[in-house]
Amino acid sequence: MNPLIFTTILMTVLLGTMIVMMSSHWLMIWIGFEMNLLAIIPILMKKYNPRTMEASTKYFLTQATASMLLMMAIIINLMHSGQWTITKVFNPTASIIMTSALAMKLGLTPFHFWVPEVTQGISLTSGLILLTWQKLAPMSILYQISPSINLNILLTMAVLSILVGGWGGLNQTQLRKIMAYSSIAHMGWMTAVLVYSPTLTMLNMLIYIMMTLTMFMLFIQSSSTTTLSLSHTWNKTPLTTTLILITLLSMGGLPPLSGFMPKWMIIQELTKNSSIILPTLMAIMALLNLYFYMRLTYSTSLTMFPSTNNMKMKWQFETKQITLLPPLIVMSSLLLPLTPMLSILD
Amino acid sequence: MMTYIVFILSVIFVVSFVGFSSKPSPIYGGLVLIVSGGVGCGIIMNFGGSFLGLMVFLIYLGGMLVVFGYTTAMATEQYPEVWVSNTTVMGVFLLGLLMEVMLVLYVLKSEEVGVVFKFSSVGHWAIYDTGDSGVFSEEIMGVAALYSYGAWVVIVTGWSLLVGVLVILEVTRGD
Repeated sequence: MNPLIFTTILMTVLLGTMIVMMSSHWLMIWIGFEMNLLAIIPILMKKYNPRTMEASTKYFLTQATASMLLMMAIIINLMHSGQWTITKVFNPTASIIMTSALAMKLGLTPFHFWVPEVTQGISLTSGLILLTWQKLAPMSILYQISPSINLNILLTMAVLSILVGGWGGLNQTQLRKIMAYSSIAHMGWMTAVLVYSPTLTMLNMLIYIMMTLTMFMLFIQSSSTTTLSLSHTWNKTPLTTTLILITLLSMGGLPPLSGFMPKWMIIQELTKNSSIILPTLMAIMALLNLYFYMRLTYSTSLTMFPSTNNMKMKWQFETKQITLLPPLIVMSSLLLPLTPMLSILD
Repeated sequence: MMTYIVFILSVIFVVSFVGFSSKPSPIYGGLVLIVSGGVGCGIIMNFGGSFLGLMVFLIYLGGMLVVFGYTTAMATEQYPEVWVSNTTVMGVFLLGLLMEVMLVLYVLKSEEVGVVFKFSSVGHWAIYDTGDSGVFSEEIMGVAALYSYGAWVVIVTGWSLLVGVLVILEVTRGD
């Protein structure tokens, strides 16, 4: 792609999300979502083959449907309240439709079917943008309407997402699909605590973005898209095997790594609100996620996966320069001792 | 009949939407879009929005649909699908018609329709009449306000249109 056009389109993706996050008028928010969707299609289709075209079409169709539902909810809200500001959704019907539309945009169950297929069809960098940047806009709207969200619907979607994210990722060997299911599960954790404490949703989003960025960049560095090619990293850059191990365990939510912090805070907040069965179920279902992360670490870092002999003697020409990888790795694994700093958020 | 003109026009509106949603060839979809655009214009004009109806005819039908018609005529096949040529298309069209007829009967039978939101009569929507404060029409003042207070909206929508063209060119260019 022409570099000037590519820069323009990338800046439009950023502008779209910024408009969504900074507007107080519902129409501008909708325009921001549409601008974001329109501009990310050529980024998803950077390589021109039938897989990317199919993935971009699926993404476009689901997100356009979600935008239409959002517009309907906005109009119902306008009909019942007579104003366009985003502070409070005045009608339960509008609130439910809006929650469903934003759940479709995020990839929560039962609207999660597009996430693995779209993430699998596109390149690793595009998948990175899809799973991190594109989650910011819908989550910011959910944060802003969180007082008026129907708790039953949101909690059902959250718990089902954690379940689907865990179970769906079990039989996968393609790394992009694994990251997609991990994204579904993390979105479930984030929306589960949204009504109780939106600050923790934002904390989880921040740490999830850091960990996903780190994982994707480690994959990009070794250009690996399957478990098999990831298991050859011990030959290419032996240090990244350890880093993959640490980051994957952090994503699984194990202390003393930083991925434990959001899970711990969320479970604490939920139990403070006298729901005990729900966080127990959520914690048990997070074990499914941990299982397939552990399987990745087993084949990558902990054992030398079986390979042919010429795979064991690779030439190393030039290591890819990945921007900001060391700080990201540090932040996605060592932030747990900073948990007491969360008190500044109150 | 004139008291129920909005109701009749809205029924025709829905029927023409069913007509192109049942997916005949795009040429016939465009034909039905003309009908639905005209009828939609009529509905808006009945609420006092003469300027908006004119915009629908000029910009939507006279600009966008004409370009759509030309491009479809360039890309059409030898025997395009009509509503009666394919069993599936006709089935979907008849199903949509049937649902619309049942809805109309429901509206005519009972006082109030409560499907997603409650709708009792067209007078219920009269609060959304495009305003006319006596001295000037609020519609056209809205367009003027778009260029003064709403300059940010103009910038955003203009940029979206430009990026839309860039995106379409990029996507159809291929390798």
